[in-house]
Amino acid sequence: MQHYIKEYLEREIEMLRNLPHEEIAKAIDVLHACYERDGRIYIFGNGGSLAIATHWVSDFNKTVFSHNLKHSARRFQAIRVPTTESELTAWANDVGYDMVFAGPLQNYLQDSDVVVAISSSGNSENIIKAVELAKSRKIPVIGLSGFDGGKLNELSDIKVLVSSSQGEYELVEGAHMVIFHLMTKYFKDYLDHASKKQ
Amino acid sequence: MIVVRAPLRLSFVGGGTDQPGFYKRAPGRVVSTTIDKFVYLVINRTPLIKKVSARYSASETVNHPSELQHTRIRAALTDLGIESGIEVGSFASLPAKTGLGSSSSFTVALLKGLHAFKGSKLDSREVAEAASRLEMELIQEPIGKQDQYAAAFGGFNMFQFNADNSVEVTSMFLSYKNHLGLEQHLLLFFTGLTRAASSVLTEQREKLDAKFETYRTMADSVSEFAERLAAADFKGLGGMLHDGWQKKKSLASGVSSSVIDRLYDAGMNAGAWGGKVAGAGGGGCVMFLASPETHTTIRASVAKVAHENNLQDFQEIPVHFSKSGAEILYNGDWAVHLG
Repeated sequence: MQHYIKEYLEREIEMLRNLPHEEIAKAIDVLHACYERDGRIYIFGNGGSLAIATHWVSDFNKTVFSHNLKHSARRFQAIRVPTTESELTAWANDVGYDMVFAGPLQNYLQDSDVVVAISSSGNSENIIKAVELAKSRKIPVIGLSGFDGGKLNELSDIKVLVSSSQGEYELVEGAHMVIFHLMTKYFKDYLDHASKKQ
Repeated sequence: MIVVRAPLRLSFVGGGTDQPGFYKRAPGRVVSTTIDKFVYLVINRTPLIKKVSARYSASETVNHPSELQHTRIRAALTDLGIESGIEVGSFASLPAKTGLGSSSSFTVALLKGLHAFKGSKLDSREVAEAASRLEMELIQEPIGKQDQYAAAFGGFNMFQFNADNSVEVTSMFLSYKNHLGLEQHLLLFFTGLTRAASSVLTEQREKLDAKFETYRTMADSVSEFAERLAAADFKGLGGMLHDGWQKKKSLASGVSSSVIDRLYDAGMNAGAWGGKVAGAGGGGCVMFLASPETHTTIRASVAKVAHENNLQDFQEIPVHFSKSGAEILYNGDWAVHLG
């Protein structure tokens, strides 16, 4: 048992060691610019990735400002798509599962926004459709993928690929969560530091 | 209606090496950052009014864009084949001719907005290239292209201008500590003196051959600047700005003036590590890097010289760096082009 645990963790550490630092730095800059222009960040994924998206939205909209709730009048506006399960089932049932993200996203998307797409395989059809919609409108796309990156990594402007073997979902999703927490912590530290300077 | 903006910029080292006269012979390099001051444009579709209107410090309404007095709007509309049914209005956080690249920010915002008006979207590189082409080829301004790239991309960047006209853009990825640290050490004053960059740049262009080696050392100083910035060596960066400014003054007689020299010397004598005049020179803004403890003294000394020289529009400009490039803030027009 301990051997299994050790091997899993070693594999996770190896993935974390090989993360693309420059792409993560670019993602942080793109989110920062979006904050400056008061744009919105739309994020989505399937299954565990949708849970990661929801978790990050809560962190980014509130936890980032936790020491500065009074000081920061301007906040991030991160929004998980679709915003309600009713919309999700309506699109899935009436139109098709491939439209559960692109369908609702089309209602919201403005030129000042950013899209964050999460897919371990990088090939989920519904994710790709939503990314193609954003691309057609020249909205910056941050793509978090795994395995060989698939189509998502090809299409994304910011390519945050957790390189792994096919099917290593748990390890990839674990690394994705680390990257999202890193971004949350970065802005939290930045705002703490900035508020002390004033 | 479309609302679009592009940021102003502060250039630190390498200014002047972005002119074709230099980069056709050796790679030009510049480090700059965009700041939280912007040029805003509003572009409005008026299908029922068959006119072209431009509203800036003046207001013009004409039947055809070729009749416009405003050089950049005239060139852009003519080049894009937009003949009527449009209003273009501009707004800015600061006056023109401050040495913060505002005329190129205007062009970048204009082209980003007009392409959206036509239903196409330009990315950062496309809009930088389009703005460089308009300013350098269509209206033949004697300028380089660092400002168009800075305004289009946004953030803290190193630009390399190559002989084949390609431009390499390297983001500096400053950590928040260095980003805020540099801001905290920086002072920026608008001298109240304005000048068009083109007058100084024309003289610089004529003397480029004789000063080629000076330009080359300015371009080469960019990597040292990047290293010192990464190491948060703000004092060293101040020293580099000072050296760069001394070199720049030697390039053309109009870069500095006795009043600018007095303002600069006042800041240096009050403890600044170094500084420079922003932009091509001849007026505009003076910037200093200095320990925050000396800022009060520097402010007072520089303001005293400004007062003695009757610079009525002199003022400090509080500045924060921005990550934003040219951006469409609102586009109520995009659905016009669908289906």
